[in-house]
Amino acid sequence: MRWNVRLLPIALAALLSPAFAVAASFGTVVPIGGQASDIALDESRGLLYIANFTANRIEVMSTADKSIHTSMNVPAQPAALSISPDSKYLLVAHYGSQTQADPSLNAITLINLNDSTRQTFTTGDTPLGVVFLANGTAFVVTSTSILIFDPISGKMVSVATFGALAKTLPVTLGTFPSQVISAALSTSPDRTVVYGIADSGTSQAFYSYNARTGALYAIGVVASPKPLARVSVSADGSWAMIGQYRLDATANNLAQFPNSITSSTIGGNAIDNAKGIIYAQILIQSPTSSTTSSGSTSSTPAATSAPPVLSILDAENLLVQQSFSIPENITGRSVLTAAADVLYTVSDSGVMVFPVGRLNQQHRVTASVRDVVARGSFCNRTVITQSITITDPGGGNTDFHLTTNTPGVTIAPSSGITPAQVQVRVDPAAFQNQNGTLAVALTLGSVSAINIPPPVRLLINNESPNQRGSFFNVPGYLTDLLSDPIRLRFYVVAQDTDQVLVFDGTTYQQIAALKTSATPTQIAMTFDRKYLVIGHDNSQQAWVYDLDTFQRQLPIQFPSGHYPRSLAESGAGMLALVRNAAVGGPGVIDTIDFNARTGTQLSSLGVFANNVSPSGVLAPAPNGGKIMVAMPDGNVMLYDSNAGTFTVSRKDFTGLSGAYAASSYNTYVVGGNVLNASLVPQGTLETSSGQPSGFTFIDQSGFRTTASSASTPGVIERFDPTQNNPTGPATRLVEAPVVAASASASGSAAAATSTFPIGVGSGASVTMSFMRTLAALYDRSAVISLSVSGFTVLPWNYDAAVAPPKISAVVNAADGTLPVAPGGLISIYGSQMAPLNIATQQIPLPTALAQSCLIVNGVPMPVLFVSSGQINGQLPFNVNGNAQMTLYTPGGISDNFNFTILPAAPSIFRTGSAGPQTGLATITRSDNGELITPTNPSHPGDSITIWATGLGLTSPPIDAGQPAPSDPLPYAIIQPNVLLGGVALGVQYAGLVPGSVGLYQINALVPRGVPQGLQIPLLISQGANTTTLNLRVVNP
Amino acid sequence: MKTLLRSILLLTAASAVAMAQQWEFGGTGGGGFLSNVNVAGSSLGAATAGFQTGAALGGYVGFAQYKHIGGELHYNYLQSNLSLKSNGAEASFAGVAHVVHYDLIFKTTRSQGKVQLFAAVGGGMKYFRGTGTEAAYQPLSQFGYFTKTTAIKPMASAGAGVKIALTKKVFLRTEFRDYITAFPTAIITPAPGTKYGKLLHDFVPMVGLGMEM
Repeated sequence: MRWNVRLLPIALAALLSPAFAVAASFGTVVPIGGQASDIALDESRGLLYIANFTANRIEVMSTADKSIHTSMNVPAQPAALSISPDSKYLLVAHYGSQTQADPSLNAITLINLNDSTRQTFTTGDTPLGVVFLANGTAFVVTSTSILIFDPISGKMVSVATFGALAKTLPVTLGTFPSQVISAALSTSPDRTVVYGIADSGTSQAFYSYNARTGALYAIGVVASPKPLARVSVSADGSWAMIGQYRLDATANNLAQFPNSITSSTIGGNAIDNAKGIIYAQILIQSPTSSTTSSGSTSSTPAATSAPPVLSILDAENLLVQQSFSIPENITGRSVLTAAADVLYTVSDSGVMVFPVGRLNQQHRVTASVRDVVARGSFCNRTVITQSITITDPGGGNTDFHLTTNTPGVTIAPSSGITPAQVQVRVDPAAFQNQNGTLAVALTLGSVSAINIPPPVRLLINNESPNQRGSFFNVPGYLTDLLSDPIRLRFYVVAQDTDQVLVFDGTTYQQIAALKTSATPTQIAMTFDRKYLVIGHDNSQQAWVYDLDTFQRQLPIQFPSGHYPRSLAESGAGMLALVRNAAVGGPGVIDTIDFNARTGTQLSSLGVFANNVSPSGVLAPAPNGGKIMVAMPDGNVMLYDSNAGTFTVSRKDFTGLSGAYAASSYNTYVVGGNVLNASLVPQGTLETSSGQPSGFTFIDQSGFRTTASSASTPGVIERFDPTQNNPTGPATRLVEAPVVAASASASGSAAAATSTFPIGVGSGASVTMSFMRTLAALYDRSAVISLSVSGFTVLPWNYDAAVAPPKISAVVNAADGTLPVAPGGLISIYGSQMAPLNIATQQIPLPTALAQSCLIVNGVPMPVLFVSSGQINGQLPFNVNGNAQMTLYTPGGISDNFNFTILPAAPSIFRTGSAGPQTGLATITRSDNGELITPTNPSHPGDSITIWATGLGLTSPPIDAGQPAPSDPLPYAIIQPNVLLGGVALGVQYAGLVPGSVGLYQINALVPRGVPQGLQIPLLISQGANTTTLNLRVVNP
Repeated sequence: MKTLLRSILLLTAASAVAMAQQWEFGGTGGGGFLSNVNVAGSSLGAATAGFQTGAALGGYVGFAQYKHIGGELHYNYLQSNLSLKSNGAEASFAGVAHVVHYDLIFKTTRSQGKVQLFAAVGGGMKYFRGTGTEAAYQPLSQFGYFTKTTAIKPMASAGAGVKIALTKKVFLRTEFRDYITAFPTAIITPAPGTKYGKLLHDFVPMVGLGMEM
């Protein structure tokens, strides 16, 4: 007993230690004492039939208790199964391909499940797969033919023949049944369309069969990575998931899973058509792209070979939505129940059962954000605190731990039970030499959770006064930036989430997210500026969006094996530089027929062979006259739209990478090189500031960014390429621009090609040799730079001399009057207060925005909005009485502005609007939620809510900039009295609005007996301070 | 002869008294056509305030005490949606009205045929009620505010009609009334700086059936 007592704490400590923690897994393994080759689900009987290939049995598993109750002994090597639509027959294919050929072993057994009678029919050649069709016949694929088998008459009709595909038995040790059979077929849920694939060793036979029309399509395919023989068919039969590829009925590659590798046995998939998802295990390359040049962590947790992972994919672009640890590998067919609530798969031990319909009952953990930004400033060197909410998506209570090894970053609590609010604290003193943005991974884990949560990216930025720009956080791996030449907006490719994000060029806020196919690489606009075209690295389509409606249009289909990575428009049409997995070179250029939505390979590039680097890019001149091609091996080419052909091809460099741009004045930039109208090098841009990141032409001049590393500030310069020299001072950025992968590290075309071997899916985070990271808004109000945290906005005149700021007035932000109170929202008026108009949605509020920061009596003030003439922010709670405010900007430091802060200064916002009316008092009726106006008057008996600021300190106290909690509610310490027409209203709550910063609300009840009229005075008093406005009161 | 003549006169008088002293009741239906009042004082253009045309339903009880004079007590329900118009635009708000009035009836005899003409004049009360959905913004609110409340106004009533006998007791009745009230500014409240016309006319033509007892 004493021994047990001593052991218990040790055991508990071991269990609770993260190092000892082993995450839970999803699913139940049912071993069969052999090796399974196929399964068939009989939902009418509650049974799963399992072909035990090596034991010559059909195991019969009860789906109720997941145990094998009976086994049916059958002839040798049951390889494939199918159950008839009426559940009367089970058809078993026997793999009889032996070194000592015995055709009698190649057979199918028809088992009548109603009376247990069996009939065996020889097929001549080895049957590889069987499926029953909707009409009751069976589609049988053998090693040389496709047969239609009638179970009633026993008649077999051959509908196609092809070359021998089967391997012979015996096979080497460790060979799994699916590696022997190397074939699979499946039907749409209504059994009218069949898709299948069979392996001949060097190539594979793809076939689709329409049972309604009898049309059979078959083609030999060579793909790398080779698709695993696992087939699931969509509800309408228009496409199927075959291994890691999403193919249509004629084998067009609609999308493929990024980073996948060839697997001969591990993997599987099943489509849930109703939810638009695919359950899949797909082997991928080792996740080496965990950290990108932007410091972002790898896109999403994908399926990996070890440990086994089941992922939920978007059925259209195969984006991983969730991933789960599973006990062992899937090694064969996966079948969903009709209700799609249970998934059965062939696995290492036999079968696995996944209750996918009860995911919400499984332990999972997830963080509320992908990125958390610790934004310091030269005003504020106090500890920065940000919150992350950790939850179980199913609402359960699940253990979690959130950890980091970075000194200066503390997490509290670093472990606990969901739901939980976690505080991430960053001590700026630990990062005082950090002038760019440092990306730190916070690892989220759980002992009991089955899912694999992605890490949270903590971005630490300590801005100094000489850095320029305001950065906006956009989580993910951003690979391309395009400014709309006719709309004040810009587009950003978020490669890891398969999206193009659309941002407003005035507010810099995201206004749309356009879904893409797998692994978007680069975007282009049609020359009429109506459509956005998106290139992909893992789809042989370019997707098209109408830019006025954001509606998706018909995609552009490229030839088999062509992945359109780079696109460019000219006056004569569009070109695509494609990664070519087919014969003819690793990369080629296709011309696009936009009306027909097709791409066609150019037979040659003028007098040059159509053989380019797949990692090259196309750079269109804004005037539509030229398209430059730049390749990491140093080759450059020029397409002349007037000539309709390629007019220049040169190789003056051993390697090229980084920025690329084409002007309308026959000047081009690639990396740090300036090229003339014939692409002859005419100069080199300075390299002392770092690697070239972005370049954008503005007429004949331009802007250029460089960075020496992701955690340094980076530099922006104005450039005149004709002189090869900066025309303005090198200005430090608030954070580093994204830098494309350097080809100089590899230095040759061969190295670049090795990055993108022929046909290999390049992954969710493609290493980009060339990137557009810099763009100017068309109204020339700002320059956008893709940067570590997302993007950085610089005002057009970022490098202009700026006068010191001046403060001329401080008023409350509600009605624009004095006085003001602690914790209240205020407006500060003056001049030269900020270089940009920027409003933030970040909570807690930052203490610096657009390089403007305010201090009040030495305390940094959270800010909501900055502009040249006005700043809105929240007064700290711990200042009162006589106060001094000072504003810091890139232009200098303002004179102190003296003002008085009273304990309470209630004021009602005049920011309401109704129809065209604005400036209305923000008092709402609870019964209809609308503002009280003369046409929506208050009635006796109404509950009303008064939205105000300046109610002063609260209990419990709240830190400035922090949102108010909902529990406990923060009441105003000095409770207000509210009178309407001299009659006291019953105040039910007066305090901060939960979830908001600096916003108070007073909930009050209008008693009967309140006088009626158009202008009844509403008076709010707190101590000696009052505010009054008139309301209309009407008896109903 | 003299006795006979007296007897005839007495009979005639008796029958006349008997005819006048009869009760009458019935129901009517029709529509209300209300006048609009001008909105004055607005610098934002010309506008009118008033009520939209709507259905009218009612009933009455009458008592004919004399040959040519009687009295009727009427109740009418009027669908009267509130309205503001300006420059071809109109804003409206649901509303109803109820009127109760007593009229003196001056009528012809029916002795020469089936038709009887009558004129009416009287007074009563009109109850206005705004029933629409209040909203923070109302179009044309620069001219006035529709209000979900009630107002009672004294009312003058005048009208005329004709009764056509269908049977000995049952007759068809067609008539019109003009209900005259002060404009209910509690229901359509003038916006600050505007003034409304004073009187509101509600012309109500109706058709109904009546029965004499």
